[in-house]
This record gives sequence, C-alpha cells and structure tokens, in this order.
Amino acid sequence: MKITAPHLGNVYIALKALFDGLEIEYIIPPLNNKEALEIGSLYSPEEICLPYKIMIGNYIQAIEKGADTVILTGSCGPCRFGKYAEMQMNLIKKLGKNLDFIVIDSPGDIGIRELFNRINRISTNSKKAKINQLDALIKAVRIMNLIDEIEEKAHFLAGYEKNKGQCKRILNSCKRDALNTKNPKEMLEVLEEYKKELENVEIDKDKNPIKIAIIGEIYTIIEPFANMYIEDKLMDYGVSTKRRLTPSWWVKDTVLKPTRLNSLAIRNNAKCYLPVGIGGHGIECVGEAVLAQKEGFDGAIQIFPLGCMPEIVAKAILPTISREKDFPIMSLVVDEMTGEAGFVTRIEAFIDLLERRRKNVLFRS
Amino acid sequence: MVVGIPKGLLFYKYHPFFTTFFRELGSDIIISPDTNKDILDEGVKYCIDDACLPIKVFHGHVAYLKDKCDIILIPRIIQVREREYICPKFCGLPEMVKNSIPNMPKIVDMPMYIISWKKLYPWAINAGRMITTNKSKIKKAFDTALKEQENFKLILKDSDKQITVAILGHPYNIFDNYINMNVVKKLNKLGVGVVTEESLDEKIIDEEIKHLYKRPFWTFARNAYGFASNIYKDNKVNGIIYISSFACGIDSVVIELIKNRIGDFPFLTLKIDEHTGEAGLDTRLEAFIDMLRRSKR
Repeated sequence: MKITAPHLGNVYIALKALFDGLEIEYIIPPLNNKEALEIGSLYSPEEICLPYKIMIGNYIQAIEKGADTVILTGSCGPCRFGKYAEMQMNLIKKLGKNLDFIVIDSPGDIGIRELFNRINRISTNSKKAKINQLDALIKAVRIMNLIDEIEEKAHFLAGYEKNKGQCKRILNSCKRDALNTKNPKEMLEVLEEYKKELENVEIDKDKNPIKIAIIGEIYTIIEPFANMYIEDKLMDYGVSTKRRLTPSWWVKDTVLKPTRLNSLAIRNNAKCYLPVGIGGHGIECVGEAVLAQKEGFDGAIQIFPLGCMPEIVAKAILPTISREKDFPIMSLVVDEMTGEAGFVTRIEAFIDLLERRRKNVLFRS
Repeated sequence: MVVGIPKGLLFYKYHPFFTTFFRELGSDIIISPDTNKDILDEGVKYCIDDACLPIKVFHGHVAYLKDKCDIILIPRIIQVREREYICPKFCGLPEMVKNSIPNMPKIVDMPMYIISWKKLYPWAINAGRMITTNKSKIKKAFDTALKEQENFKLILKDSDKQITVAILGHPYNIFDNYINMNVVKKLNKLGVGVVTEESLDEKIIDEEIKHLYKRPFWTFARNAYGFASNIYKDNKVNGIIYISSFACGIDSVVIELIKNRIGDFPFLTLKIDEHTGEAGLDTRLEAFIDMLRRSKR
C-alpha cells in the first residue's frame, strides 16, 4: 500500500514525518502546479469549487507516481466539502484508475467503530509497535504546529526585516530542508533550528509596515497555489500578514468542537454580525475581520473559490463591517480561470489604498 | 401592523403556514407579487453578485416589500429534517438581506427548525412576540397555521400523457414560473406530462439513498437523488429534467451523483440565471423531447 494525500498548505511536511515515523510507504503528490489544475478542471464537474479540481489533479499525479490509497478528511456540514469523498471516488473509478479512499469522518456520522476501522487500515501497514506509532503521531502534530508557527512568524516579520527578503528565504529553505530529512526526530531538529534563525532576524522596530489579515475559505487561503501565492507576494512588498486559519488551527478546532470551546474569540466577535453557524468557515471569516480591525490591522483580504456558499454569505456581511468600523476589506474570488496579472493589480491597488489612508506613502521605498 | 411576506425561496412550500400564522395573530399581511422583471432587476441590483438566482430574486421580493410593511419575514430555515440542512445561504439569509438592502424595517429572523412541529414552536413564540404579547393567541395561531400547512400538498403531477418527464430541483426553481420561464407549461404544450419529487414516499427515498457511500446532508439533494434513483429503477418516466440555478453548490454535487447512478438514462440539466434567454431554453427543451419521442418509437 502506497499512501498519498491531497495537498493543503504545509500538511505534506507533517504527513511525511508521520509516515516516516510509521515506516509506511507514501507518495507526496507534486506540489500544486498548473498541470494538476488542468487535469482537475478537465475531469471535474464544471461548477464544483476550485479545491475539488486541484485535489483531482493531486490524485492523478500521485497515481502516476505509484500511489494506490488516499487519505481524506470528511465533514457533514452544509458545505460541499463533505461530499468530496464520494464524488471523487466515483470520478476516479470512472477514469479507470485504481485508488482506495480512506475517509476520516466525524465519529458522529460513521460511528466511532467505523472510524477506528478506517484508521486501522492505515496503521496495520506499520510494523512499528503501537507505542511507537503513537509517538510518530504526536511528533507529526508537533511538526504541524511548528511549521505553522514558523510560517506565521515569517509572514509577520516580513514587514519589519532589515535585509529585504530574508524571512522569505528562511521560510523557503526551511520547507526544503524539512523535506530532506529521514525521520520525524531529525525534522523536529531542523524546524527548531529554523525557528531560532527566524528569531534572530534583524528587525527594524521603527518601521510601521502595512498589516493585512488574510481571511476567507480555508483551502484557498492555506494552499498558496490556489491564491496565486498571495502571501509570498505580500512578503515581497514588505507587508506584514496574518492568517489565523492554519492546518494546526483546524485540528484544534475540530477536536474542541464537541465542547463548544473552539475559537471562542472568533465566534464572539462574529456574533453581532452573524449569530448562527452557516457551515464551512463563514463565521470565522466574519469574526476574523472584526478581530483584525481590533488588533490594529490596516485591512483584510478575503479569498474564496467561485461559488463557495458560506463565503458568499460572509461577503455580503463584510461591507457592513467595513463601513461601520472604517476598515477596508477586499474580496478576491479565485477559480481555474483566474489570471495572475489582474490579481496582482488588485492587490497592489489595495496596498496603495491602505498606504494613502495613512497619508504616508512608503510602499517600495 | 403590516407583515410583509416575500414570495421567494421556500415560500412555495410553506406559504399556508406563514400566511395563516400572521393573519391569525391579527396583523395585516402583504405578500409580494409573483416574480416579475422588476423584482428580478431589484434583486440583481441589491444582492451580491456571487449569489445564485433564487437568492437574488428573494432580495427583489424584500426590496419590493420593505416600504410597504412594518415588519418583514425572512425565514432563516436551518433544518427541515434531522441532521440535514438546506443550504448555507439559508442559514445566513437574514444577514445577507440586512447587509445588502438599506433602510430595512424590523425583521423576523429567528432560526426555524421545521423538523417537527414541536421544534418549530419556539420560533412561533419569538416571532409572535414581535406582534402580540398574548401568549394564548400565539398558540392558537400556531395551531391553526399547522392545520393549514398539513392540508397543503405541493404536488405537480399529470402523468396521463404519452411522454412523462420528472422535474427535479429545488422547489423554488420548479414552482417559480418566472425563474424557470414556465417550463411546466411549455412541456404540457409539447404534450408532455410531468411529475415532481413530492409525489414520492419518504420511506422509498430512505431506501434509495442507501446507494450512496455517504448520507446526503442536504434535504433537497436527498430528495432529488432518491426520487431520480427510484424513477430510474422502476422506469416510471421517459426522462429527467433538472432545473438548476447557476452556481448552486448543492446542484453541482447532486447532479453528478444522479448522473453516476442513472448512467445513460435521458437527463437534461437546465441552467438558469438572470441572463437566461428564453429561446435557448425552448430549443433545448424541444430537442430533449424530440429525443425522447424518437427513442420511444
């Protein structure tokens, strides 16, 4: 059995550590690329959202590299993501490819026993003892948290760094080196090292960079290919960015959900604009916009795939927040037809606007 | 006090309940007219452009009513069946309207769970309080409204024609004749009978959805799939027409699932949006019916 999983931001790094630790064969699909998207758009239903299409591309490219099993999470919210697994199974079968799906769904829907069954299908492939398996899992979660932390820090410090481009370089080489490690322990060491390096980046405390919060649909903001590498671009512009939704946030949120203690700050801040959950991450989007304003950000950029139902509701609400709090918010819709030039123009115009609001133009100075 | 009830979305399914409830509370009610060009234009003007056509039309109905009433009903229907939803946009509908249309009157926007009449009662209490303080009056209005609703059946069925097609889709697309450009009438004119999903028993649908790997968590997707699967299996109709609004997330999923189940069975997807040209729709319908006729021969 050769396991693979669709890409979601940096999750592949943690998964690599997990499977290295479990000593299970795995395939990382090629990092999201144009070809994956083209394959996906060719086979997918026309009106389905962008993540689905990119994921299909991931599967096909992983199959070409020899994968035969895919791990996917599920949900039963009102959002379309919950139905991905079934549709993708049908599609892959129709294409005549052989790919087993292991869908990790919430125990409320498939029963706790079925959940363990499905997890067992993965873990029985590992020759390691149970205790070592658990250790690998814990290390993988730690790696996930660490890489998210490093990324967040790099994105934020990019506005303050003295040597332009340093943060971006560190982040990129961190990801590259993490992929070249042999086991989780080694990877943890590498990540810790880079974390330290990032702490020692020379920063200019007097600088007051533009600060932008990235909000919106979780896949399109976490997966850099889906949003045309917006965070990298903003780093180049010397803009500090912050994005609350990360894979490690998602894990924490999902685990804490039954206790209703998940993301309290976000939900409390969203309350007066959107009192009930609407599925997907609609509440998070609204709550984060309010929070970003409170935390002194200059503006927020909402990104979501065309036709995303929860984000459409959020998009209808955001102008009110923008008006009432005097806080600029821009919505960007992405799909397989998004052109990069138009995208960049809008981002640049938005940064210009934020700067002029400060009556102090320092962009590219 | 005048209560405005927009004739959009699930009004078509629940109008006996809504109208009776507010009338029995002693308020005057005003219902927006059938969808027309003006209402659609108003809706497109106010609503955010990413939304689907039925949502835009609903905005149009609200815009028509907002200056004509003191209080307006925007049903936030979250569930109509246990553990199932309708669509994320329904859960956030009052927010969408409130933030898109300026100068709104007071809104009845409490969440509605129409899973059972008992679960709906808290909504009735909260909504009723906005109009009267008399609790027994609310209770009475609620009971009367329920009776009205129970006597009402939303069924479209005339299958005594030579050719019958099943019409699938969300009720607000099937029953709003402006949105779907009178598709039923057009079919009848072509000598074709139609049936809709409401004619099917719940239990049969439950049986049919077992074909799926995962239970559907949208009520109308569940109904559409169960119905399509059933009529395909029993060969009850000659073809299926799915009326789907452009960019409807649920339809994009359920159409795929249905196609996967029915294979080569005649299936036509009619996409509708605010730009749909009537001539194009006619041509597609006629071609589809021609095809069905020829395959019958």
